[in-house]
Amino acid sequence: MTFVRDDLRPVQRRAAVLLATLAVAFAAILVRLWVLQVIQSPRWRTAAENNRLRRLPLEAPRGMVTDVRGEVILDNRPTYQLLLFPEEMADAARTAAFLTRIEIAPPEEVHARLEKARRTSHLPSVIADNLAWSQVATIAAHRAEYRELEIHPATRRSLPPGARVAHLVGQLGEVSPDQLTGNPSLHPGQLVGRSGLERAYQDVLGGTPGNLVVVVDAFGKQVSALDEEPPVAGRPLQITLDLALQEEASEAMTGQVGAVFALDPRDGAVRILLSQPSFDPDLFAGHLETAKWKELISDPLNPLHDRALQALYPPGSSIKPLYATGALRDGIRSLSDTIFCTGAVNIYGHPYRCWQKGGHGRVALEEAIEVSCDSFFYHLARDAGIDRLAAWARSFGLGTATGIELGGESTGLVPDDTWSRKARGQPWYGGETISVGIGQGPILVTPIQMAVAYAALVNGGMLVKPHLVEGRGEPPRPTGFPAEALAAVQRGMERVVAGQRGTARRLGSLPVRIAGKTGTSQVMRKQEGVHWQDLPWEQRHHALFIGYAPVGDPRLVVAVVVEHGGDAASVAAPIAGRIFMRAFGPRAEAQAVTASIAPGWQVTSPPPSLEAGPAAPSAPASVPATSATVRPTPAAAAGRPEASRSTSPPAAGGTARLRPRPTR
Amino acid sequence: MRRLDPWLLLAVVAIAACAYLAQSSTAKALATPGFANRQIVWLAVGAVLMVLFSFADYRVLARLSPLFYVVTLGVLLALFVVAPARAGAQRWLTLGSYTIQPSEFARVVTILAVAAIAGEHQQSRLDFKTAARLLALTSVPAILVMLQPDLGTALTLGAILVAALWLGGLPWRTWVALVAAGVVMVVVAWLWVLKPYQRERILTFADPERALYTSGYQQRQSKIAVGSGGVTGKGLHSGTQSQLRFLPAQYTDFIFAVWAEETGFIGAALLLAAYILMVFRIFVIALSARDRVGAVFAGCSGFVLATEILINVGMVTGLAPTTGITLPLLSYGGSSVLATCISLGMIQSIWRLRYANV
Repeated sequence: MTFVRDDLRPVQRRAAVLLATLAVAFAAILVRLWVLQVIQSPRWRTAAENNRLRRLPLEAPRGMVTDVRGEVILDNRPTYQLLLFPEEMADAARTAAFLTRIEIAPPEEVHARLEKARRTSHLPSVIADNLAWSQVATIAAHRAEYRELEIHPATRRSLPPGARVAHLVGQLGEVSPDQLTGNPSLHPGQLVGRSGLERAYQDVLGGTPGNLVVVVDAFGKQVSALDEEPPVAGRPLQITLDLALQEEASEAMTGQVGAVFALDPRDGAVRILLSQPSFDPDLFAGHLETAKWKELISDPLNPLHDRALQALYPPGSSIKPLYATGALRDGIRSLSDTIFCTGAVNIYGHPYRCWQKGGHGRVALEEAIEVSCDSFFYHLARDAGIDRLAAWARSFGLGTATGIELGGESTGLVPDDTWSRKARGQPWYGGETISVGIGQGPILVTPIQMAVAYAALVNGGMLVKPHLVEGRGEPPRPTGFPAEALAAVQRGMERVVAGQRGTARRLGSLPVRIAGKTGTSQVMRKQEGVHWQDLPWEQRHHALFIGYAPVGDPRLVVAVVVEHGGDAASVAAPIAGRIFMRAFGPRAEAQAVTASIAPGWQVTSPPPSLEAGPAAPSAPASVPATSATVRPTPAAAAGRPEASRSTSPPAAGGTARLRPRPTR
Repeated sequence: MRRLDPWLLLAVVAIAACAYLAQSSTAKALATPGFANRQIVWLAVGAVLMVLFSFADYRVLARLSPLFYVVTLGVLLALFVVAPARAGAQRWLTLGSYTIQPSEFARVVTILAVAAIAGEHQQSRLDFKTAARLLALTSVPAILVMLQPDLGTALTLGAILVAALWLGGLPWRTWVALVAAGVVMVVVAWLWVLKPYQRERILTFADPERALYTSGYQQRQSKIAVGSGGVTGKGLHSGTQSQLRFLPAQYTDFIFAVWAEETGFIGAALLLAAYILMVFRIFVIALSARDRVGAVFAGCSGFVLATEILINVGMVTGLAPTTGITLPLLSYGGSSVLATCISLGMIQSIWRLRYANV
């Protein structure tokens, strides 16, 4: 036991040093707090807000589209979308594995979508839609693990069953980066119209998307809604289309490839816009799967192509009424001028054959239209020259887009010497004029152009602008063709149906008075002695019929093009007949009439790609029924094609826009 | 009572008040109202213990320390047998509906044992034998705690050794040797002792973007909470980070973030000031202790408390890795509160007896 007090000074000295060291550390902590809470505070506050607030885009329901009578063409149905919040995504591979497991898409596709979502923006984007219930349930159950995923109710475009309006309605697609920068009201992943009506009237149908700001907790659970900016729904749109006629056209065209376009000749209101084959528009209502897209674009029949507006066809004999009108106006022909058709003519030292082997005998202009006499128009073309032919065609709107709101139209081709020198580097060859005189050679038209041209023939010579929405047309432009000339050509077209020798006389028995003109445009040089029905599909001629009704007060012009249909009279004209019956015929008889004008192609083989398809050719009437209701048709007239002969096929180099012709 | 240090009492009361407010806020967030009430009960019991121990004679307790030490080691060893594995660790002893964390008390007992040895060795510098005894005394419980595994508490036991060696005084050559040994131990610990999650925490601290959503996520959320509090805070019970549960372990390791978010820089600085006052007073007491036992006990306690505060707040503010060291008195936990109060009571007793000549 010691009573000497321990010397504590060294310990105290060291304790003081310890305290000093600690003081420095505490000061550092205080400085750190100052930095975090005072200097960097705004940054962390934003981070805290981002933590708890989620801005959910509220897709605006797109506007409804109705037809001229108020029938619904395009509507919405509820669906579920999957949103991705890229900032929340910790491990893209893990998320991708989860999405693949619940079969959102194949692995590569999922990876691509996640990558895109990450690249585009820090805002949430739609990475899948049209989710199945099981997918919705699985994602909801794993919400805490995958905080970056969010199920979001939305709407999806729905079309009435059976209505073939895919090309008219067009496609929706994700907004492109260009559109995003140009329009601040759009957000990534939003669907906008990419083609057709959806694009042309995006401003009407699209509406304005809204926002919902919600508070979420750490587990992604929505705690409360903070703020809502409701979406403004797209406005409804009534269009001039007649859904009943569209459906009739669609049924009549079943199994065929081609287009039907119809409008009101008085103002240009579009009634039918059909392109076959079609596609399922639901594929484009959301995110398109690559596999299905590839399947669509690799289809040799190209279902995405809107044939009514974009496909180019030689008009064949259907151009004859236009030339006849021009010839009457310019005095190239008078009503009393005749030629004697022997079945062939010799011009510039070359023989040109009329489709009628024995010839038509003596024909004047009206008769020449009725029987579609090639000889008459060979002479007319020679006397007029290519420049006049081209001028007449242009007067009727050929060679330029018609200006329909949908856009994407082909302009067609009205050839002349200038064109030949520019495009082919060689002067126009006189022999080609003769071919162009019967709508062959390099001249190319779209179905919509022919409908507009015929509208001018029957509405007093006014060139209308076809339009789908009332008020979007322009005042018709006068073509400058005199009323007498138009009246004479109309008489000729009435005789096509009503006349004894009319090429479309099979429509003459219908209770609706129809007029029009057939056209069989040559795909390949005609083979002597081979019946068109024996040719393989892709070698058959295109069948055209452009008609109007009712005669005397035309309210509907219909242009029908059946690719490789073979024969206009027996294939294209009956389709137009069905449409006119639906539009103007007595209701009760509609079915019987449909049967009575069953086209002849039903006994032939359909296009190769349609054979295997599920769409079996509809047979509203069997062949025996035809014979029962229709007046007996001379077999020779019904079965034989109207043929034109083009002597000089255009050189390959200058005709890049021509449809490729199969070689033998 | 008049002979107790009023400043130390004031600091403890201030911290206890903050603890109650912070705990009631996180209790609301976690929908566990019982937690805040239990914490205030622990603090009240702790206050009673503190007063009791301040009127005890620390010298008597120091003389009894070998007994306490052996009992403590026995309990720590027994844990491996009787303690249920909770959250992957055997740290807790269950007594009825209460759980006790013996390592918290082991800390106090170890400091007391260290102080007792210092009292026996009344030299200006430590000799080798005494240094070895101190090393053995602290490493045995430290190793046992690390095996539980509880790295955080084990580190605080290491802090006792550092403080004891520093206060006892070592030649500079020994310090060099110790630092070298420390480096070897760190390497050994890294390679063979640390669990993967512990390694991950340290790596995450070195590179916070390494794992934004695992352990780095915790620290990021904590920094967001503290930083978004701003100068004046979001108001009690109104912190978005805590109330929406973005803050992890918010009633234990990250309780300071709750406080900082809701009371801002003003509240956080005031709380820190209370802690600084507490540590300062403990060192003042160490400097005015009448003997070596008191000086070393107060000095070691003060250093360990300060280390805990610094590491915890450093972790919350992103200056230190997440080690699982709690904030004394503020973090939820009865054992921690009681052990801290006992050591504060003994420190008061050192102050009370500073002039005693017996």
